[in-house]
Amino acid sequence: MPKIEIPLGDFLPLAGLESTDDLEKLLESLKAELDGLYEKTVKIELNDTNRPDLWTAEGVARGLRCWKNGAESHLDSMADPVAHIDVHSDLKEIRPYIAAFTATGWQVNDDGLESLITAQEKIASSFGKERKTAAIGFYPLDGISFPVRYETTSPETSFQPLGEETEMTLSEVLEKTEAGLKYAGLLSNFQEYPILIDSSGAVLSFPPVLNSHSTGRVVPGDSRLFCEVTGTDWHTVNLTATILACNLEDRGAVISTVEIRYPDGETTVTPVLYADTLTATYKEISGMIGMDAEELDIKTLLSKMDYCGIEVGEDSVTAVMPPYRRDGIHPRDLMEDIVIAIGLNNMTPVLPSEYTVGSAAPVETLARSVKALLVGAGCEEIMRPILTSFDRISIRTRTPEPPIRISNPMTAEYGVVSSTLLPALLEVESSSGHAAFPHRLFTVGEVLCRTGSALCHTQMNLAVSTGDGDFGAVHSILGIICHLRGLEFSLKPLDDPRFIPGRSAAVLINGEEAGILGEFHPGVLEAWGITVPVAGFELPLESLRG
Amino acid sequence: MSETVSKDLHPLEKTLLNWLSEHGSGSDMEAMEGTGMDEGSCRRALQWLFSREMAQVVFSETTVTVELGPVGSFYLEKGTTPELALLEAVRNGISSLPEIQKNELFERAQWGSAMGALLKARILKKSSEGLILNDLSGGVFSAIWSSVYSPASQGETIHLSELDEKVAAEISNRAPKRGKSRAEFVINETTSSVIEITSAGREALESARGKSTIGILTREILASGEWKNGSFRRYQVDIPPSRIHIGRLHPYAMFLDSVRDKLQAMGFQEMKGPLAESEFWNSDALFMPQFHPARDIHDAYYLEDGVEVAPPPRDLGSKVRAAHENGGNTGGRGWEYSFEWDRSLRTIMRSQGTALSARTLGSNPDIPGKYFGIAKCFRYDQVDATHLPDFFQVEGIVLGEEINMRHLLGLLKLFATEVAGATEYKFVPAYFPFTEPSVELHVKHPTLGWFEMGGAGLFRREVCEPMGIDVPVIAWGLGLDRMALLALGLSDIRDLLNPDLARLREMKSTPEKLLGGDENA
Repeated sequence: MPKIEIPLGDFLPLAGLESTDDLEKLLESLKAELDGLYEKTVKIELNDTNRPDLWTAEGVARGLRCWKNGAESHLDSMADPVAHIDVHSDLKEIRPYIAAFTATGWQVNDDGLESLITAQEKIASSFGKERKTAAIGFYPLDGISFPVRYETTSPETSFQPLGEETEMTLSEVLEKTEAGLKYAGLLSNFQEYPILIDSSGAVLSFPPVLNSHSTGRVVPGDSRLFCEVTGTDWHTVNLTATILACNLEDRGAVISTVEIRYPDGETTVTPVLYADTLTATYKEISGMIGMDAEELDIKTLLSKMDYCGIEVGEDSVTAVMPPYRRDGIHPRDLMEDIVIAIGLNNMTPVLPSEYTVGSAAPVETLARSVKALLVGAGCEEIMRPILTSFDRISIRTRTPEPPIRISNPMTAEYGVVSSTLLPALLEVESSSGHAAFPHRLFTVGEVLCRTGSALCHTQMNLAVSTGDGDFGAVHSILGIICHLRGLEFSLKPLDDPRFIPGRSAAVLINGEEAGILGEFHPGVLEAWGITVPVAGFELPLESLRG
Repeated sequence: MSETVSKDLHPLEKTLLNWLSEHGSGSDMEAMEGTGMDEGSCRRALQWLFSREMAQVVFSETTVTVELGPVGSFYLEKGTTPELALLEAVRNGISSLPEIQKNELFERAQWGSAMGALLKARILKKSSEGLILNDLSGGVFSAIWSSVYSPASQGETIHLSELDEKVAAEISNRAPKRGKSRAEFVINETTSSVIEITSAGREALESARGKSTIGILTREILASGEWKNGSFRRYQVDIPPSRIHIGRLHPYAMFLDSVRDKLQAMGFQEMKGPLAESEFWNSDALFMPQFHPARDIHDAYYLEDGVEVAPPPRDLGSKVRAAHENGGNTGGRGWEYSFEWDRSLRTIMRSQGTALSARTLGSNPDIPGKYFGIAKCFRYDQVDATHLPDFFQVEGIVLGEEINMRHLLGLLKLFATEVAGATEYKFVPAYFPFTEPSVELHVKHPTLGWFEMGGAGLFRREVCEPMGIDVPVIAWGLGLDRMALLALGLSDIRDLLNPDLARLREMKSTPEKLLGGDENA
């Protein structure tokens, strides 16, 4: 979940707050948490991954203002396009979309600049998929000669990137700068790279990597800005541009649109404002929240959530989401905002009145019965993770069937899924040489096994082992368990690499082959660093059901 | 029990008291000789009697005696010491050390140190003509011979305190505390005490006389009736027992079972599902778009190529796909992207317990119905004090015609009081991809204070509609790890699955301690 740290001196006036006293409570309405309150800054965690508008100081402040004062207008009076951008057809496969606007009349200050940078980082990295679907650039407007061309160019084109001393080619930027190294992967499949150039031929930026030093450096005091967003997904690009335009408008800037001209002759005036309209019937609302919707002041409630165009009809309500949101994809989303506005803690909890009968899963009931017998036999239950290593299962324990591997393990230590529980018991034995003997151990747990060649299935197994105990020791435990479960059991000699030849057997329960029992081979014990004889058995728990 | 002090007399105590009672008092050495005990037994029995005030010390004295060490005994055999022999040689006109050292009576080094000692004591002095006698009597060295060597040769005990001051000082110098094998003298300190029996001792002896004391009650004593004539030695019952190791359930498994019991008692049926899942059941069926950040390759474990789970029914697959792409029949517009069927079929280790709920929704669940699952889940996290490679999630669903938000809050309130034993709780708006509205439950736990205990919400229509579920469904999940750690007295989550049996044996079996409904918690 994104976290932002913002200066209190900037944020509190913007949010219309006198102090941070009620901040924690107020943030709940935005699904946000107060993560840390410091002398000069506040850290906020934003839990809704579909609300990138909240990942900036302006967005959180706006939400709190509306909660208190009701809905605001957004980008109602954007000026007609003052500039345009020509998009080249070669970008279609690389990075086809761009949205842009200008913001004038608000003088950039330190906090405002920091907020622009936060927006650039947070929105482009998370919502913009590490700048793939959206990357952001800000520029002083007056240095640019329109129209701007968004086109492709050779990797050998050079310019002076922001923060570098000299000119570099685009290839060098990708190889030598921090941003270049980080985002080079986005361009690795292409022969040519995207570039923004103005009509005088000056490079504005190398999207999605770096702005130019000469045209792309915004400093406090600037009051005329140009902003562009490029990316591979139109809605991500346009929503990002809309959010930034709303943020700058909230700070006092006048927003003007920019016209984008595509090579096929189509034009788009950006940002394109969303106005997602949601309708829910009173019946739906009442049924969902458990309160009579007609008795609620839905207009006020939705206004707190910054909806506009609220129409309260005969049997339904319609409302328009603000343009910086695009997460209203179902009437349920409108209903949730009503619930939040009512306040969850203002609703009276009730219990479902319909009677239902509880029960444990049959395999868990069986496990409980068998475990009770094992405890009676003096066995101690152990638990180990399901993810384990090939080394433990196949190399040290010599399990004949290979376990199922994880294709993207974090470490080899957890590189396979347990297919057998005996290695877990041996691992405990190898870590417990200093614990008083004898050791009678058991574990009950899920394992993942192959079914045929391709499919896998999950099975609950039981494994028992005796440290400083021989074949007879585990044989007796299995014997008494089967006896008390009313099962016929027998052993059929079966050599297995895990066990001493002639001292292992297939376990037959009611005539069916179920598991394996034996005295571990000294080679296995040596591989585990175990210095006492160990015997064990393993079988599917279901085989003990009878 | 032979080492245990009992109120009845131990045989050693009885023997010693008998001797003391006969003699009134006596020294410890006399008692040892008189009773025939070895030194250790006698000391032990005396300590027991002192601690029970059955005997007391009336007088104790430390004596310091001098014995010849190995070197001293060697000198005694020679009939002289190097110092005396050297003085004799000087008297006989030998006036240089090298000349004296030709005499093999003693070693060169012994002659050397003897001369050093004589020079230091000013008995001998060096002049231009060689060595000259200063003190004809031989001073302290003659005195040592007469007051130590001579009596020692007669087997007499020599008390250090009775020796001349100078002699005693010289002897102390020559009796090192270490390296006694090369010492001329050995000084021994011994404390001897005079002990007498007390009235409590006489009483105890009195009551013990004439009766046999029974220690361990044996079959033979019972069979013979011998116990009728004896008394039982009283055990000291307040000493700690010896530690035994017993068969037991793992405390964490017990904790999970107590959660299972609670949920059953609230009318929930348990769900079970596979450890490995297709992305379909793990995420798609839960309306998590395929581009969702939590579905990144780095958030789930993928199985090796060629290992799969059975694909979902074809028509269900189409409906889920439609819900994602354009909303299908759900009444919404969907996520507006191109759904990839191949992605849906990829096999991962279950990353959320909600996959179980998805499967339950898709297999004709009871309506009304309540379900829960205690599911092993796998997250792509570094293992540390708060993360295990796989962990249990407790979650479930509630289906019913009448179900609404207030029931969801009612259920969460029940979890707060029944499962966590919470005194206060609150609801906070939350975000989960598959529920809308979504709620977090924060509880004030009696020990842990405020913490986020779980999340819940109403499943989105995009989740239920493709499964053919027309009634509202509550989905809920509880995070119980912190409660488990507290219940079991641990602070590191890795300790829950520790492979060290010695440490496991120290874990407390108190899993029910933190679950609500226990009045004594």
